Amino acid sequence: MKISRGMALILATVMTGSLLITGCSATTKTTSAATTAAVVTTADTTAAGVESTAAESTAAVATDDSLTKVKAAGTLILGLDSAFPPMGFINDKNEIVGFDIDLAREVTSRMGVELKLQPIDWSSNILELNSGNIDCIWNGFSISEERKAEVNFTDAYMQNRQVVIVRGDSGINTLADMAGKTLCLQAGSSASDALASNADFKASLKEVVELSDNVTAFMELEGKTSDAILMDEIVAAYYITQNAKDYKILDESLADEQYGVGFRLADQSLRDEVNNQLKAMAADGTLAEISNTWFGKDVTVIK
Amino acid sequence: MMNYSIMLSAINYSSMIAFLLDGTVKAVELFFLTIVLSLPLGLLVARLRMVKFKVILLPVKFYLLIMRGTPLILQLMFFMYFPPLVFGIGVDRFMVAVFSFTINYAAYFAEIFRGGIESIPVGQQEAAYVLGLSPFQTFTRITVPQVVKRIIPTIAGESMTLVKDTALASVIGVTELFRNAGSLKATYSSVIPFAVAALFYLVMNSVVSAFFSQIEKKLNYYKG
Repeated sequence: MKISRGMALILATVMTGSLLITGCSATTKTTSAATTAAVVTTADTTAAGVESTAAESTAAVATDDSLTKVKAAGTLILGLDSAFPPMGFINDKNEIVGFDIDLAREVTSRMGVELKLQPIDWSSNILELNSGNIDCIWNGFSISEERKAEVNFTDAYMQNRQVVIVRGDSGINTLADMAGKTLCLQAGSSASDALASNADFKASLKEVVELSDNVTAFMELEGKTSDAILMDEIVAAYYITQNAKDYKILDESLADEQYGVGFRLADQSLRDEVNNQLKAMAADGTLAEISNTWFGKDVTVIK
Repeated sequence: MMNYSIMLSAINYSSMIAFLLDGTVKAVELFFLTIVLSLPLGLLVARLRMVKFKVILLPVKFYLLIMRGTPLILQLMFFMYFPPLVFGIGVDRFMVAVFSFTINYAAYFAEIFRGGIESIPVGQQEAAYVLGLSPFQTFTRITVPQVVKRIIPTIAGESMTLVKDTALASVIGVTELFRNAGSLKATYSSVIPFAVAALFYLVMNSVVSAFFSQIEKKLNYYKG
């Protein structure tokens, strides 16, 4: 326990009271998120820090202490699902590696802090972020309007597409060829969002199978119980290369999306710092270098 | 096509086993801490469950209902995410898992103990009173040894369930055996890590089972 329960409740009341009195002009969502985040960040400060966090919640702009806190702690905690190659996964030496991990290591070394990798359950990612167990979500995290309401994203650093993968001998070459076929995808992923927004295509399919993860999807494709998989192009290319299978990625994609790094809504200064570091890395070529190591070409989009 | 020069194509068995062993150690730690904490707690709750005062009885019955009536997986998520959001306190993942498992299993153990205690003939208590033994002496010297002998098979079963339930801690991000196997499945695009993990769980439970068999043998110096 970092602070007693009673103290935290009193501080929460003070926070809310000061918000009401000063009539903060921020939107309701940001305010309530700031209050929640303020309660969380308060837990880590002593009583003396109350004034600065009170100022943070009334201002609700980039005068928060998220960056100073991370620098003081000397560590940035990165939350990831360590089963998502090639963005973040376990290698054969049992270390957590990945494209996002390399980016994060470079950013944190430039910031002068340590990087701590915290495996989390992906379906609780925003919950872990808001509860303060992690400082950022950096794991092929797609930017979407719904997520923007709950998460403070950096600029997009990588482009991704939701694509359809089929067996090489299936004779399917276009989305139109998929009519009357079975498609599988990972439940709750941005693939299922992409399918939902392509109603015509979805309606043309015989069946849509939701699975717990992408490896199972590949097993379905291999075993011919499904005709196609809908998933991130980046991850698909990894699996196809790794397993040296005769699979084909269709040219037409269902959705274009971008990956960003997610922070708590109130952590503007921390988010800005990481964003600036990524921009600096783009400018001096480090970003392209890391991208080449992993993908053989520069797939980054940050300017 | 992208060039994944860093990627691997074959399973590195020694690494896989090492990684799964790390997870096993976590699971074993979780198991021992839970058993050591929840057995005494269960005994206490069982004792409280048998009192007549509504002030104590009702909260205890409520606790037993909630713990046995809701899924352990949801209890884990509740204790992990509720305190930080509402009270702003930091929580350690592993400690949350130990806490949640302990209070859940204590509820089950409490009912098992109560069943065992209530199955002892009341006549024995009366005889002990007549012979001049205090209630405490009766309980510890007469009742408990018999209860232990009767409930060993059930406790063995619950312990084996606990070994398997440690896998649930993966939902709050504890890097135990099941989660590690899942990570390796993604690394190698294979379900072999899961097969090996199943083997590890089997070995752990064989040890638990053998342990309790030994205890049963030791306690078998009389029938009944």
